[in-house]
Formats: sequence, C-alpha cells, structure tokens
Amino acid sequence: MTNALLKEMKLSASILSYLFIAFGLMFLVPGYPILCGAFFVSLGLFQSFQWAREANDIVFSSLLPIAKRDVVVAKYLFVCMIEGCGIILMGISVILRMTVFADSDIYRSNALMNANLFALGVAFVIFGIFNWIFVGGFFKTAYKFAGPFVRFIIVAFVIIFLAEAVHHVPGLEFMNAFGTDHMGSQLISLAAGVLIYMALTILSCRKACKDFEEIDL
Amino acid sequence: MNIVEVQDLVKKYPAFELKDVSFGLESGRITGFIGRNGAGKTTTIKAMLNLIHPDSGDVRYFGSPLLKSEADIKKRIGYSTGTVSWYPRKRIRDIVSIVKRFYDTWDEAAYRKYLDLFALDEMKTPLELSEGMKVKLNLLLALSHRSEVLILDEPTSGLDPFSRNELLEIFEDLKKEGVAVFFSTHIISDIEKCADDIIYISKGRIVAAMDKDAFIRQYSEEGETLEETMLRLEGGVDHD
Repeated sequence: MTNALLKEMKLSASILSYLFIAFGLMFLVPGYPILCGAFFVSLGLFQSFQWAREANDIVFSSLLPIAKRDVVVAKYLFVCMIEGCGIILMGISVILRMTVFADSDIYRSNALMNANLFALGVAFVIFGIFNWIFVGGFFKTAYKFAGPFVRFIIVAFVIIFLAEAVHHVPGLEFMNAFGTDHMGSQLISLAAGVLIYMALTILSCRKACKDFEEIDL
Repeated sequence: MNIVEVQDLVKKYPAFELKDVSFGLESGRITGFIGRNGAGKTTTIKAMLNLIHPDSGDVRYFGSPLLKSEADIKKRIGYSTGTVSWYPRKRIRDIVSIVKRFYDTWDEAAYRKYLDLFALDEMKTPLELSEGMKVKLNLLLALSHRSEVLILDEPTSGLDPFSRNELLEIFEDLKKEGVAVFFSTHIISDIEKCADDIIYISKGRIVAAMDKDAFIRQYSEEGETLEETMLRLEGGVDHD
C-alpha cells in the first residue's frame, strides 16, 4: 500500500492539490467565510482527479501488481492525506485564534463565523461529504467526475451557509465561541465532525471498492 | 502443464459477445492470439488482466484464480496493452522509478539492456515519443521484472520491420528462459515467424487453439501460406 500511495503522490497528483492545502490558512482570515478554505482544499483534490483521468491513471494503476480494491484504497489514502494536511493548517489557525488572538479586535468584531473547534468539526464534515459524494461518485464509473463534483459543491455550500447562520439561532450562540468559552460544547462538536468524517470516508471507500470491482476498464 | 488457464469466459456487450473462451498457455512456448479487428482479442486479454468483469468463466495463473491472488499473480506476469497512453508529461525515468518499486523481481540489468536495445531516452516523456516508441516503452516495463508469463496486446503494431524482428527475437530468447509468451496480433507473418501455438478467435469464439504445425495441417490447403489460410477462414467462418 505504501508503494500505491507513493504512486498517487508522485504520478497521479496534480501540483495544485499540494498548493491548495495552503487554503487551510483561510481560517485566519477575518470577515471571510472561513469554511471556504475546506472547499478550496477539496477543489485542489478535484484537480488531481482531473489530471489523473487525462493521464489514464486508473488503467495504469489497475495494471500494477496490486489488487483492484487497493487502487481505490490508495486514492482514498491520498485524499485523506491532503485533507489531513489542510486540517492541520486549520487546526493551527484555530489554536492561534483561540489563544494568541483570542482578544483581537479584528476577530472579535468579525461578523462571520469564528474559527473555533466547531468550525474545525464542520471542516471535517465538508471533507467527509467530499469523500462520500465526489470520490465515491467518481468510482462508480472511474471516469465521470463532473456530476459528483457539482453535487459536492451544492451540498458543501449549503453546509457552509448553515454553519455560518447557526450561531444566530437563539440558544446556539456557543457555536461562535471565542477563546476557550463553551469548551465542552466545542469539543463535542469537533468530535462529532471527526466521527462523521470517519463514517462517511470508510463507508464511501468500502462502496467504492465494490463499485470499482464491477467496472470494465 | 498449463501455467495459465482461461476457462469458459463469457462477456456480453450490446453489440458483441465473448462466447465460452477457453485455452491454456504453457511455459517456454510462444502463443499467437490471432483474429481480425473486433474479434475479441483485446476483450479476452482485458479479462485475463481483470480489467473487465466477465459475466462468467475463470482465469487461473500458476493454479490460482486471478481474483483470489491478483497482486501476487500480477507480480509474476508482464503485460503490455497497446501503446503507452498514461502520464504523457512525466519523464520515463520518473514513471519507471515508481513502477519498479512494485516488483521484488525488478531486474535493473534487463531494464538497462532493453532501454539500450529500444533506444529509449529516460529523460523523455511519453508525449515526446512516436507511437512505435510508446509500444517499446510499454514492452520495456513488461520485460524488466523477470515475468514468467508475458501477455502482450498487439505488441508489433506500429513497430517498423526492424523493431518487429528484434521483438520476435526477444520472444525467442524469453522462450528459452522458460517464459510463456502470449501475444495478440493481426499480422499473420509475426505468427508464422515465431509462434509455437496458435489461438484463433473469430466473432468472440475460439475457433482453434493448437500447435502451429497442427493448425496448418488441419486448416491450410496445399501451397497456402498461413496468411492465405487465415483470409480464407475469415471469409468462411460462421457462428450464427
């Protein structure tokens, strides 16, 4: 599997997938819908799928001495690796805004969503949705990706909109917590995001392995 | 003893059907898989490599079903499916550096030998190669890991006569080393030159699978070349 992942990183990946990880730092941008950072990391991953399709990567991978399902698993591992790098940058940004910049005026007067553990949890959900709708959708044909990506865009922006709006609902203000306020709720929302991500990714990967096994290349 | 067994492969498409395709391959023999365009050669080879899903049938290598030991089996076989059409902008050196990691049996000396023989430049990208050179690059990857079985889809198509001759000589050398070489072609003279066995497919059905001499005895009329025999057979084959 290490070799298959290395192949993904060196041959199949578009350079944009690596560069777009930096959008994780959008969690530091005040007055901006920060969850778009997660969307842009996903957009970078989309470029790799586009690049790989042009390079006939799936057929090449299927001819390598690995089981057909490992072609799928390696692709998921690569996706998770890039998402993980994005999450690390977002996490660093969240920690900075929860600590060093906790009392910064520019963030306190921010009309939009604050970068906290709830936001990080939602970023996990967006990546989980990407894996479920886009990556899983791609492996239904191992060729068509426009439809799955459009569906992902729609769902991702609905989630971003809801996440931005939810703290305006009376009783849910804690979702826009600053610093270490409402730490218990924040940690629960982060844990829920991680669990949703893991569930969507694992279920999607299993289904994609099954779908890909049935495909004629 | 057969080291590759293809048994009763069936694959139905709306306009084409692979019908109960069965044959075996032996070590140290060169087998030509012959048939006109659209006869089912590539479909059969794709099924042998698990690139397509047959409706029924079985493919076994070294006694094991392909689907149960896919990774281990693929390490012991080499394959080339037409010209290289992947990673057009990656250098050959970079592609090879990844591919060789998958094979414990990667033979760097053999790789260098065929790289020189095929006059391939590692610093070039597939995009910079002619169609013939792309075929050679594909063959280079297939030949560099001590395969026990070599499965090649139209390996001589697009090659100049000199390169085709070189390739057929390579087949002879591999045969002496005990490798089973299986190649599809519609160039009858290639079969005539080097094949020990012939598998003839027409309209998705195996018409004959036998020793070349036996094939000629059974199907050729007096004074006919193999090419003339095939042309006559193709004119007369009817599976309806």
